[in-house]
Amino acid sequence: MNPALIALAAALAVAIPALATAWAQARIGPAIAASMAEKTELSTTAILMIAIPETMVILGFVVAMVILVRPG
Amino acid sequence: MILPMSKLRILGPRQRLDEVFRALQDLNLLHLSAPESAGPLESSRLDARQERHRDQLRRALADVEAVLAALQAGRGTVGKAPPAPTASDFARWARLAGRVRRETDHLTTREAELDDERALILKYQHFFSAFRALLESESRWTNATAYHVLLKRGDAGTIPALRASLTAAIGDEFELHSQTLPSGETAVLAIVSARAAGRVEQLLAQARVEEIPVPEAFGGKSLADAIPRMLERLGDIPGELDDIRARRAVLARSHGAELRAARLAIHDRLRALEALPLSGVTPRAFVIEGWVPTRALPALEAGLAEACGDEVVVTEVARQEWQSEEAPVVLSNPRLLRPFEALIRLFPLPRYGSIDPTPFMAVFFPAFFGLMVGDIGYGVLLAVGGLILHRLSRPGTVWRDAAEIIGPCALASILAGILFGELFGDLGAHWLGLRPILFSREEAIVPFLLLAVALGAVHILLGLVLGVVSARAQPRHAFGRGVATAMVLLVILALLAAVNVLPRRFFSPAVIGLLIAFPLLIALEGLVAMIELLATLGNILSYARIMALGVASVMLAVVANRMVGALGSVIVGVLFALLFHLVNFGIVLFSPTIHALRLHYVEFFGKFYSPGGVRYQPLGHWTRARGPARSTAQPERRTA
Repeated sequence: MNPALIALAAALAVAIPALATAWAQARIGPAIAASMAEKTELSTTAILMIAIPETMVILGFVVAMVILVRPG
Repeated sequence: MILPMSKLRILGPRQRLDEVFRALQDLNLLHLSAPESAGPLESSRLDARQERHRDQLRRALADVEAVLAALQAGRGTVGKAPPAPTASDFARWARLAGRVRRETDHLTTREAELDDERALILKYQHFFSAFRALLESESRWTNATAYHVLLKRGDAGTIPALRASLTAAIGDEFELHSQTLPSGETAVLAIVSARAAGRVEQLLAQARVEEIPVPEAFGGKSLADAIPRMLERLGDIPGELDDIRARRAVLARSHGAELRAARLAIHDRLRALEALPLSGVTPRAFVIEGWVPTRALPALEAGLAEACGDEVVVTEVARQEWQSEEAPVVLSNPRLLRPFEALIRLFPLPRYGSIDPTPFMAVFFPAFFGLMVGDIGYGVLLAVGGLILHRLSRPGTVWRDAAEIIGPCALASILAGILFGELFGDLGAHWLGLRPILFSREEAIVPFLLLAVALGAVHILLGLVLGVVSARAQPRHAFGRGVATAMVLLVILALLAAVNVLPRRFFSPAVIGLLIAFPLLIALEGLVAMIELLATLGNILSYARIMALGVASVMLAVVANRMVGALGSVIVGVLFALLFHLVNFGIVLFSPTIHALRLHYVEFFGKFYSPGGVRYQPLGHWTRARGPARSTAQPERRTA
């Protein structure tokens, strides 16, 4: 396959989930910050809430790597 | 592990209740729980005298805390206090705290006044410096009035408009001078003939321009007269502030130790009073119930017998009479694993009778962290940071726990760095000829991915097995969980056989096993179990993040190294490379921690963890380290 197309596919595999992650974190961040202002004991929940959308971009990165290093 | 607990019932004559509470406070072992009211037994209440005493103690404590804070004397040696303070001791402390508080409040108010005064004078001083010559000749303007105005930073552009307005209103009967002050504000001095003054004041009022008034304290209408006196006063203020500080130091020296002793005694007395309603009383007897770690039971019995004699009886409540959920939780782990209890405490505590995940976290958290960082250089930096933090922190604090968690994480990073042949990315390979023992993360992406997912499978299967163990009290549920665990294992076997990692002959038995287990799982756990099974497989894939973060870390390090030759100048390249490594190290500190935590809290704990445990808080003496908010013990470190 055309190397340019492979590179584009890998870039899209990271870029689209990255945008989705950014959008999700932009929504979660202020909400969890406001919650923590009232209940500081929510810090663990905050860590989890911020880390959960990162799964999208991390798995996107994994897929991109697999696209780039796939045999053939 | 979660320490086994015993529930106790302490009985004795009612008149000895206070004495028993004092003994329990000394022993610091019993976590109180209110006994159920039944028959003649009712909850103990504070009488009117005790309520009054409690309110007085609270007020005195507020005074003591305020004084110690104002004198910055919260820490230090504690003065001698009677072993059993009497009402007159508390009254004396209350009077002392009230008297010293009045004085410290006065000193604080005076200090604030002096600060305000100094700020005001400094404002005039700048104005005076700007127009010194003009102001000094102000007294000669027999038929003129001076107006002093300060314009905010950025408002200097309005001066031409002001000049035009004055010209339009009073012609040429004024002089306007302006100068920018060091603060960025603009000082404006307008000298206006006496007969035009009224019109100018009207103009200033209409434009809402606020003139700087000459402070009353310095008298006179002329700023030129007031400023020398103000400058003289400015020289006196530091001396007065020093006097205030010296007086505070004298108060701290003469009363600090006694007030710290008072704080301890008042807290202790308040805690005993507030614990009183947790006992039950009949007209002649009292009942106290509570929990103690089973291994500390002999110590409590012996301590009470010694303090209160044989009139007070301690009996253990039979295990059948209490539910697991009622018992408080004490985590107790070997010294090396103990720092990881801090990571468990970020989460709600596990219920009594369930599994303490600390030992598993102590093994897997550093392992995941190490695989994500996987660099000898970053590992060494982390170890150095951990050692410094350990040196600077005090035992029992969050920082000490963090330092002790950093140690194993740094070690795991160094070990992984040796396996992957990484020292600040590929710098070790170029300079020292370092070669990977396992594989290079920079190139062997797929093997690293498989390693991460395989680790995930092991971790999740361990969680599922722990889930079976924790559900052992409900055999049907435990069996259902066992079937789900077996199905996950069979899916993994079938997949490995399908891609020829395992011999092909494993494939058919694995699939047949799945077909048999499927209806069994539905029958035992319902349809939801199937969704959970799929989610579990998704959980295993989630461990791919170990590979993703690991590859991102090494790539950033390699990019940093390549900057040395890519920017023309070697010095600039080295500086940029160092900066990039620093950024990468910052990411290395943060991201792997968050994701290793997440893999535990979400993926692993979800398989077996039962939150909702009650923290074990024995009735004990107050100490500053625990503080009023956490007024009961953190017993994992000190009792049982």
